[in-house]
Amino acid sequence: MLLQLNHIYKWVKQGGKRVFLLNDISLDVEEGEFISIMGPSGSGKSTLLNVIGMLDEFQEGEYMFLDESVHTLKEKHRSKLYKEYIGFVFQAYHLIDELTVYENIETPLLYKNIKSSERKALVADMLDRFNIVGKKDLFPAQLSGGQQQLVGIARALIAKPKLILADEPTGNLNSKQGEEIMELFKELNQEGVTIIQATHSESNAAYGNRIIHLLDGSKQHQASN
Amino acid sequence: MIRNYIKIAWRNIWNNKLFSAINIISLAIGLSAAFVIGLMVYYEFTFDTFHQNGDRMYRVVSDFETPQGDMKNGGVTPPMRLAVREELTGIEQSAYFFNWWISESKAASSEQIFKDPEKIILTQASYFGLFQYKWIAGSKETALQKPNQVVLTRKRALEYFPNLPLTAVMGQTIEYNADIQAVVSGIVEDFDKRSDFFFDEFVSLETAKQTESKDQILSDSWGMTNNASQLYIKISEHSTAAQIKSQLLALSEQHVDADMIKYNNKRTFNLQPLADLHFDQEYGVYDYSRPEANKNILISLIFIAIFLLLLGSINFINLNTAQATQRAKEIGIRKTLGSSKIQLIVQFLGETFLLTLLAALSSVILSILALKVFDDFIPNGVDATLMVSPWFAGLVLGLITILTFLSGFYPGLVLSRFKPSRALKGELIRSENKGSLRKVLTVSQFVIAQVFVTATLLVSKQIYFMMHSDLGFRTDAVAYLQTPWEDQKVDKRLVLEQEITNLPGVSRISLGGMPPASHNMATRMGIYKTENQEVIQELQVLNGDGDYLDVYNIDILAGRKPLNDTIEEYIINETGMQAFGFHNPEDIVGKYIELNSNKRLIVGVMKDFKQRSLKTGIVPLVLTGDTGRERRTNFRTVHLVLGDKASGWSGTLAQIEQVYKKIYPGEDFKMTFLDQTIANFYEQEQRIASLLNWATGLSVLISCLGLLGLVIHTTERRNKEIGIRKVLGASLVQLNLLLCRDFLKLVLLAYLISVPLAWWGLHNWLQDYTYKTEMSWWIFALSGIGMVVLALAIMSFKTLRTALRNPVESLRTE
Ligand SMILES: Nc1ncnc2c1ncn2[C@@H]1O[C@H](COP(=O)(O)OP(=O)(O)O)[C@@H](O)[C@H]1O
Ligand SMILES: [Mg+2]
Repeated sequence: MLLQLNHIYKWVKQGGKRVFLLNDISLDVEEGEFISIMGPSGSGKSTLLNVIGMLDEFQEGEYMFLDESVHTLKEKHRSKLYKEYIGFVFQAYHLIDELTVYENIETPLLYKNIKSSERKALVADMLDRFNIVGKKDLFPAQLSGGQQQLVGIARALIAKPKLILADEPTGNLNSKQGEEIMELFKELNQEGVTIIQATHSESNAAYGNRIIHLLDGSKQHQASN
Repeated sequence: MIRNYIKIAWRNIWNNKLFSAINIISLAIGLSAAFVIGLMVYYEFTFDTFHQNGDRMYRVVSDFETPQGDMKNGGVTPPMRLAVREELTGIEQSAYFFNWWISESKAASSEQIFKDPEKIILTQASYFGLFQYKWIAGSKETALQKPNQVVLTRKRALEYFPNLPLTAVMGQTIEYNADIQAVVSGIVEDFDKRSDFFFDEFVSLETAKQTESKDQILSDSWGMTNNASQLYIKISEHSTAAQIKSQLLALSEQHVDADMIKYNNKRTFNLQPLADLHFDQEYGVYDYSRPEANKNILISLIFIAIFLLLLGSINFINLNTAQATQRAKEIGIRKTLGSSKIQLIVQFLGETFLLTLLAALSSVILSILALKVFDDFIPNGVDATLMVSPWFAGLVLGLITILTFLSGFYPGLVLSRFKPSRALKGELIRSENKGSLRKVLTVSQFVIAQVFVTATLLVSKQIYFMMHSDLGFRTDAVAYLQTPWEDQKVDKRLVLEQEITNLPGVSRISLGGMPPASHNMATRMGIYKTENQEVIQELQVLNGDGDYLDVYNIDILAGRKPLNDTIEEYIINETGMQAFGFHNPEDIVGKYIELNSNKRLIVGVMKDFKQRSLKTGIVPLVLTGDTGRERRTNFRTVHLVLGDKASGWSGTLAQIEQVYKKIYPGEDFKMTFLDQTIANFYEQEQRIASLLNWATGLSVLISCLGLLGLVIHTTERRNKEIGIRKVLGASLVQLNLLLCRDFLKLVLLAYLISVPLAWWGLHNWLQDYTYKTEMSWWIFALSGIGMVVLALAIMSFKTLRTALRNPVESLRTE
């Protein structure tokens, strides 16, 4: 078991009343799965991914990651988990504007204290694999959206994560670019990487081998398969 | 990793050129001040630190307690030189010397006469035992054994004998005051380290027997203390200063004489550590031409540097936390990529370090310039060469480190605390940091700047007040001409006076001693005896002929002037009259006051005037004629009132010079305007004022730069709002007010805080002055209005430009 959510509740207080962002979510994820989280805008997809990615807290319930309770994790352990197990891909790419393509991809390796020569080799591999060798010295602002997202994925993959969390990775791309990204995810999944993606596109969701429907922060059981 | 940080830091600095410039300039101002002041402090604190066992060396000094007040004398009574060797225990070495002031000296083999040569002492081999010199020729044991021997420093040897090799200087003869000769018996290197022992010429003490002042130098009498008689000791390793002091105390009790009992004076011998010598204000050091090293001024300077550094740091913190939103995304991403909090803080410290380093590098250059610009203010020996020292490198590195932590730690902490999920959404900060710290810091900044502004205004006002208030005698169009002091006779001076009187441009003239206000005043004890009591009072003595009071427009309240210029009759001032217990001027006229054990007649009372400066009050004073004319005249100065300025003073001055040169050929012409003399009384205040001007200017500059940065930042974020408001019909003034309002509030709050602080500080400062200017309300008002107007102007520079922008543009950018 890679991770397990048990009756997770997340809420915010508004006017003294609780507004639930996540409402009693339970979810088991095995290694090697490709899960799509679907739902309309505002249904809580990002919130759920953030909780899974430990970027956000929750108020109630239990979250086990590799059989360790996330609740009790210290900040230090959390950043260790990011480094070792999790790669993020965002709808808005979230590249560091001041760094070049090469440097963006290299950054996670820096935090893993990998030697310079090894870093070079790994980054070169990635650039090669995503066909962006020619763009390595450009800054994010000089790239198209699709290219930026490729860099984002390359960066997420470079540290060889077990789990990729992708929040509407194709949301800002045209359908052709979107498809390419999805094919890429499928490939990665076949190599053994666990993927959880949020999307509101049926066709993208279909790449996954399991689909979770969210509405107002709750899982919709009738639609699951 | 480091490379990555530096890269991103550099790109950030480059992409935010304006903010980086503000940060660097603010830090560089503080750093430059700190560097220059650091050099001054280093310079002043490293005098005489090189002597062997200097921590065991002391000067023996004399403290006097008298009914008129306490006096400190850096000298000792001459027999003390023997007593420290023969009677006291625990003293390893001692050196006695006499600071010898002579009117001329020359090498016997040369025609060149050195007038009023300085840096000559009469001393013994023990001087060179205590103070280690490098000997070029001769030896410390033998060089000063016999009378009529002299040791020269290399510098002085070259002055006397520019054409001789040093080896040939040995055995040459030097003549002092034309009648005493000494043979060069040794040559030493000048001290190459900083020292207050700046003497160049060491004449054997035995030679003193041939001088006029032999009684003073080698006397056996314990009664007299001349501050030229200097005594240094090195206490032995096993002894302590306290032990020596108690022996000295016993010695002073042993040598109480009848006069001391009679006048109720008390003398105690004391020790002054060598380390205190340089900052000495009480006992006197030797180089009068050097501006006093004033510990208090140095400390104020250090505070100014600290304030400026703090102000720069505040700008840094404010601008960086304000810009945090822009950095939030990067932080969020880095956290998801596995960066720990510590790593983020290190990254931001690194950026701060880079900026500080840039600031420090420019400051090194700036401070070299500053050393030139502030030449007047900075001691002569302080120059850029002092920068080439491990000490300075330490200062630079230390300040860079401190500033990096001071400025970078808090912003780093704030930034690293962002929750990544929210940082990525760009929604944070407003809730995490309402900018209240920023407000506190901005207010503190302006409090400091405002206090400086107010202080500058008040100090200037006090100086103006002192220079322009009525001293009680004529100060404009009055000048005085000093005559050569070697000439002891009055005759030539009478001729001089007569000839100047005939010049058409001079309206009044008088022959006398010093002008009514001057630094050097002779004093004497006056005793007034009645049947049942005795009043002893210290009196200042002025000398002047019958026209003196007319030249200076000083009124006589009762009685008359002395009958002639040489009769021992005295006019006393009102304060003196009151000191002797009289209330009516008429009553003291005709009474006798005892001066030097002789009864002297008071013939008149003159109106009070301020003798010294407005710092001190009026003290008892008497005016008399040239009472000691047979021995040597006191009438050494010609006082004159010049005619109408319009008719041209320069012509008159030239004529006076001509007359003077005819009577005293080859002598310097020293003519001084009285108002200049009075302005010189306030030299220290002028220095404080110019210091304050700079401190104020710089602190206001830094604070305003910071304000500008914040305004630019907030205005930029409100672009869209401004566009909408403009479309809705807001006027330029309304928009400007809207944008500046929040900041103006801070400036006003700072002003309110600054008022009591400034009031308290300035009130204390004014306590030192007997005559104080008023702490008028308008000073506080003016400084506040000035600051608000300035702040508004600086902010409007940005806000108006934003408000003037075409609203369509700013709305389209969304
Ligand atoms: N910190 C928060 N405070 C209040 N409401 C929030 C917060 N974060 C998210 N929401 C709300 O929760 C809902 C779910 O948001 P999100 O997870 O972003 O949805 P999705 O990604 O499916 O579009 C939205 O209605 C959003 O407004
Ligand atoms: Mg979303």
